[in-house]
Amino acid sequence: MFVYILKRILFFIPTILIISVLTFALSKMTPGDPVRLALGNQDQGEGSGGASDKLAGEKAYLSMAEDLGLNLPAFYVQISNAATPDTLYKYIKKPERDNLERLISMYGNWPQIEQYYSSIKNVEYAMLDVKQDSTTFEKGRKIKENCAKLYQEYKDRNVTGYIDQIVASSDSLTPLANVHAQATLLQNSYLGIKASATPAKTYIPSLKWYGFNNQYHRWLSNFLKLDFGFSYADKRPVWSKMKDALPWTLLLNLIAIIISYIIAIPLGVTSATRKNSIGDRVSTVSLFVLYSLPSFWIGTMFIIFFTTPEYGMNFFPNFGVGDVTSDMGWWDIFTERAYHMILPVICLTYGSWAFLSRMMRGGMLSVLRQDYIRTARAKGVPDRKVVWKHAFRNSLIPMITIFSGLFPAAISGSFIIENIYSIPGMGQLAFTALMGRDYPIVFTVMMFSAFLTLVGTLISDILYAVADPRISFDK
Amino acid sequence: MTKATNIAPDDQSYWAIVRRQFRKNRSAVWSLRLLALLFLIGMSADFIANEKPYYCVINGKSYFPVLKGAGVDLGIARWPTELSNVTWRELKYEKVIWAPIPYYPTNLDKKNTDFVSPMAHQDVPSAHWKHYLGTDNLGRDVLSGMIHGTRIAMLVGVISMSVALIIGLFFGSLAGYFGDTKLKTTWAGIILNLFFLFFAFYYAFAARSYTLSDAIAVSFFGFLMQFFISLIIFILVMTIPYFISGFLRTRSYGGAEVEVPVDILISRMIEIIESVPSFLLILSIVAIVEKPSIYIVMVIIGLTRWTGIARYVRGELLKVRSLEYVEAAQALGFPERRIILRHTLPNSLTSVLISVSFGVASAILTESGLSFLGIGVPPEQVTWGSMLSLARGVPQAWWVAIFPGFAIFITVTIFNLIGDGLTDALDPRLKQ
Repeated sequence: MFVYILKRILFFIPTILIISVLTFALSKMTPGDPVRLALGNQDQGEGSGGASDKLAGEKAYLSMAEDLGLNLPAFYVQISNAATPDTLYKYIKKPERDNLERLISMYGNWPQIEQYYSSIKNVEYAMLDVKQDSTTFEKGRKIKENCAKLYQEYKDRNVTGYIDQIVASSDSLTPLANVHAQATLLQNSYLGIKASATPAKTYIPSLKWYGFNNQYHRWLSNFLKLDFGFSYADKRPVWSKMKDALPWTLLLNLIAIIISYIIAIPLGVTSATRKNSIGDRVSTVSLFVLYSLPSFWIGTMFIIFFTTPEYGMNFFPNFGVGDVTSDMGWWDIFTERAYHMILPVICLTYGSWAFLSRMMRGGMLSVLRQDYIRTARAKGVPDRKVVWKHAFRNSLIPMITIFSGLFPAAISGSFIIENIYSIPGMGQLAFTALMGRDYPIVFTVMMFSAFLTLVGTLISDILYAVADPRISFDK
Repeated sequence: MTKATNIAPDDQSYWAIVRRQFRKNRSAVWSLRLLALLFLIGMSADFIANEKPYYCVINGKSYFPVLKGAGVDLGIARWPTELSNVTWRELKYEKVIWAPIPYYPTNLDKKNTDFVSPMAHQDVPSAHWKHYLGTDNLGRDVLSGMIHGTRIAMLVGVISMSVALIIGLFFGSLAGYFGDTKLKTTWAGIILNLFFLFFAFYYAFAARSYTLSDAIAVSFFGFLMQFFISLIIFILVMTIPYFISGFLRTRSYGGAEVEVPVDILISRMIEIIESVPSFLLILSIVAIVEKPSIYIVMVIIGLTRWTGIARYVRGELLKVRSLEYVEAAQALGFPERRIILRHTLPNSLTSVLISVSFGVASAILTESGLSFLGIGVPPEQVTWGSMLSLARGVPQAWWVAIFPGFAIFITVTIFNLIGDGLTDALDPRLKQ
């Protein structure tokens, strides 16, 4: 048994690793610029356009990127084409890097593309030195706009168009002479890319090794040290937000699972022993109906009918977990909380309850068909004892294995229910994070629930052996 | 009943027995009939609820706008200039035959906005224009939304389960047929395969990543097409090591024979995938897709639901594998591929049906849950879940809460009942 548990725990390691790679890959594919999100999406004073503003903005951007570890390569290895340089990760801004990759995949000549990229920069910097007045303002704005567009454009027609506009706007104005010189350089460098294109290079695969100093390695090792980063939205550590949310979800789901087991077991047993009686038929049908009822529908219906005065049945509070002040006694706190929890707990309970009862009934029926039950009956063991002592224990085994499956289901179930009833649990946390693109939270919750699922499976395996002495994991 | 007479009572073929058993379960049979009805509604949604008339005469010219619309959607017809971008309700007709429900789910009835109850007075020209199930906040017809939502729900079932079936059957049959000992290769074969796997992945997916991502931004079916091309490239590249190692083997190069533990590898993979909470996974994948589309949601649901099918197939095949007819086929010298595809898979398909029907139920639940939360579904798309979510915060609009929710419930129940009936029908203990 011990060896088995050890083996299972060892199996955790590759599983967690693979899930973490999956999660990390997802987090890298998210749209938007993580640094901008972390900085709170503020504009970097592009409009006012002072050189010092621009530089300060870039500096803030860089230091935030360094804080987030985005100045490192993403992963240990990278599969790309031979034209891609292994230092591409140093271009931190994700949209710009994506665009550079695009250009590489189109033309395959990195030195020229790099030069083109720096000439866009040069135009921008030349523009910063220009004194703004009524003659240059309009044209300057146009040049800046087009430069910003160039960073994220790869289609030949558009790129040519933007560059032409930059050249045209900076033409024939003495204050913009320097800009114009840079703009022509830009134009030439773009033409240079097209002239010396080596698209054949993009068909040669290359595998690049970056070593351990990469984003994934850093993220995972922080994760193992329980440092989950911080939320983009309010800069609080993810862990402290999770710590606030987790008790609610655990409380709700534990209550729901316990209640459903408590009702399901006796119900399943009695309906199995009285198979085909009217009571059994009614309960089978109604359990089936309950099992198929979508919980978010019932949750919405409860909210509409039982929490508003509209239909004269305003029995329950409609959302939240209630206000608790410090001068309330424990009984008051309990009633206040319980009052708010009744509807969500019902929504979370009935589905698993119906499922468990059906399983219990099925398991019991198959056990009651066994020979040893007939033997017990034949030798005159009272019916009660046959059912509860001989049959019941043996039919419990499937109920235990289900336990591990209930847990992930409960997490996803509470995702919607918490959202409907505004309960500040993990589901609500993940949902608001997802809507606000607060990805550190989303992916931490995902890793966390995967871990919980694994632990649940392990526990149910152990319980399995405890419940049935015939099962042994040692060979 | 007519069908029952077709099968002679002494017909003892496997399917005949299953069919007979299934027919004993009355609720399952009724579910199957209801399902057929739902499919019919889903397929003919455009003909039941449509803003366009079936037939009309304008300025002496007659048109069949509903049929024409279907043609335009399929890309085989074009609107005549006088009818493109028209508001069908406001045209002057000489003769017109409307669809039974003259609204499309996205039509805004500006005179009946802000949740008009089916019981309340509605500002409509005649009884034909009545909103039988009321309207929502923007004045969209709820009944029309329900009918077109049926189509979405059926599509969710079909698409997500086809994806799940393809992947699940593939991995399940590999694991179940080969087990841990049956696939033998040489060390050279393993190295060659891994080496070419890199190239296959590169040329099929990495090098084509822009083609694929551009295609998905344009249309879903274009993406499918491109993905299919990628798959073909992948398979083509992977045939190279297959032939090389086969050749080396005939010359007895390549080192000692090793058994590839296919079953262990695939079972571990399934375990890992199942330990990721699927709803959260779906949510985060859907959130990444920049241009939301209901089809993407369907495919993603399928991508996370194949493990159950794979497990089923694996289990069945492990059972079937040691049966005599497989041995016979092997003795006759049939290749592995043929034994899997022609002999063992069809025998495990029946039990896969159970998994599929429960899978459809849960896929529909997941999709409506997602649209209820407003994730992954474009805002203008009307589904049962998105309609239901409108009812939150508007307690007086009971009709928006009850009808779509009830539709989800009925559909899920139908699939669960069918799955239940199949389980009973396939249970050998009940065979008489």
